[in-house]
Amino acid sequence: MNTEAIRALWKRPASFRLTIPKLVLAAFVLLAIAASVIAPQNPYDPLQIFAWESSSPPGTAGGGGYVYLLGTDGLGRDILSTVFYGLRISLFVAVTSTVLAALIGMSLGVIAAYLGRWADALIMRVVDLQLSLPTMLVALIAIVTLGPGVDRIILALVIVQWAAYARVTRGVAMSEANKAYLDAARLLRLPPARNVFRHLLPNSIAPAITLIPIELGHAVALEATLSFLGLGVPIDKPSLGSAVANGFQYLMTGQYWISLFPGLALFGLIASINFVGEDFRRRYDPRSH
Amino acid sequence: MTATIIGRLSQAFLLLLAMSVIGFVGIHSVGNPVFNIVNVETATPEDIRRATIALGLDQPLWRQYSLFLGNVVSGNFGTSYIYHLPAFRLVMNKLPATFELAAVAMLVAAPSGILLGLLAGRRKGTVADRAILNSSVFALSVPSFWLSMLLIMVGAMLTGWFPSGGRGDAVSAFGSEWSVFTLSGMHHLVLPALALAIPNIALIARLTRSGTIEVEAQDFTRFCQAKGLSPRRILFRHTLPNISVPIVTIIGMQFGGMLAFAVVVESIFNWPGIGKLLIDSIQLLDRPVVLATLTFVAIAFVGLNALVDIFYAVLDPRTRRSA
Repeated sequence: MNTEAIRALWKRPASFRLTIPKLVLAAFVLLAIAASVIAPQNPYDPLQIFAWESSSPPGTAGGGGYVYLLGTDGLGRDILSTVFYGLRISLFVAVTSTVLAALIGMSLGVIAAYLGRWADALIMRVVDLQLSLPTMLVALIAIVTLGPGVDRIILALVIVQWAAYARVTRGVAMSEANKAYLDAARLLRLPPARNVFRHLLPNSIAPAITLIPIELGHAVALEATLSFLGLGVPIDKPSLGSAVANGFQYLMTGQYWISLFPGLALFGLIASINFVGEDFRRRYDPRSH
Repeated sequence: MTATIIGRLSQAFLLLLAMSVIGFVGIHSVGNPVFNIVNVETATPEDIRRATIALGLDQPLWRQYSLFLGNVVSGNFGTSYIYHLPAFRLVMNKLPATFELAAVAMLVAAPSGILLGLLAGRRKGTVADRAILNSSVFALSVPSFWLSMLLIMVGAMLTGWFPSGGRGDAVSAFGSEWSVFTLSGMHHLVLPALALAIPNIALIARLTRSGTIEVEAQDFTRFCQAKGLSPRRILFRHTLPNISVPIVTIIGMQFGGMLAFAVVVESIFNWPGIGKLLIDSIQLLDRPVVLATLTFVAIAFVGLNALVDIFYAVLDPRTRRSA
């Protein structure tokens, strides 16, 4: 089995450089994982919130024995803690949906290439139709259909993203399917599922893997946008998008910090993912400039 | 050429049909719109039954759908549960606002994106190129709602130069209300148009840049240089036409995409277009308006893509010959 293409992706590149975006992204991931340890307050626990300290500006000393470094929101939740917990939800939703979409898309792409005929036609027509529409429109239709909730938004993001992986994987798998090792596998009368997933899949997914970082950035942005519109993650457990939305009504009265800091965190997260993703793609995709 | 267009159109038609089925079935599972119309506390079962019949919700789902499909063809999406106006007319009333917003945004985005891209592509590897490339990654990383809010913070609250929302005065022209023709309207248009334009400037600039780099490396460009043509003439008369096809594609697609992304910008800037209508209607479970808006945006997007295909033939003689 020839899996050199995959191995090349995992091999530590000779010139690994620690860039600023990589550091920022690593910091965001660490903050999200350690949110419950380092956040001064659990913003989901009503007992830790002092409602009379709502809309305090940054730097106010709070009743919990700590300073609200970034202020509090309209319900008295510490913005810094909300940002940490929001990072956790935003990253969880984006990573889960991207991984699921990649797995489903790659599998369907390989299946389409292996089976050919009507299965290929059916899967690829759906892919074509979906990729010809703007992602926002597909996402809106999906979320209107599915309704709000964390599981629904993950499903909606999977629906938006799987097609890109399927198209790229299918293209590679079409040429791989004609190679000698797969003929050999067929002649051995291995079950089709084994041919597809043990032999064809590992050799066909390398180009699709280079899509993952870029799509991850899209997923974070799309989830935040849907949550901002009130169509995504519920507001009681805010992702970064719903945290920004939460502060929007206070923006006009000058309480800028409620929206500004979650928004900056969101922007930093997406920008660092995009810079790292661009670097990744430039390294492994010879076609890109 | 004609065959391609007919093939594309029939594919587009099937797509719209499939989408209408998914959307129609889906919106049924969101919530019962009857409880939006009647007062839940005081309504008798008889009231609820009468409202259900009045809205046609007592019919089986497939019948409601076939009725809906027949109505779509004749431009009749039913009556809004909230405004008691025909849903399609509601969408059409809101359309000029969205259209002028997207058009102004694209009129800003296309020339500036192309110029920045040509500049970066000509000076590949220089400080200017890297600055344009890096800021484009930033511009594409900002979610549009966050960009809109930053524009409000800077353009409306800190400086007070522009209004933070609303549409301003409008004048009647071509049978509808337009605010792009009034001073106050243009004043209100600046921030939302910028919010829509900035990501597109970045996208168009990146595309133009990579196209320019590709074309500048080809022999005919070197021949033009050897002929002694001025760099500006080479750039605008020879390079630009050769990269125009992908640029026109992205402009067409992004214009359609703006109709979808206007949802965000319009909600934030309180701009009374179809995007805001869509979000309001989703929240009010106003089913006919949601369906009418989504159907309209989908048709507009698919139609724009077909237009772009036809435009290829005008721009690129090679696609014209390969009939």
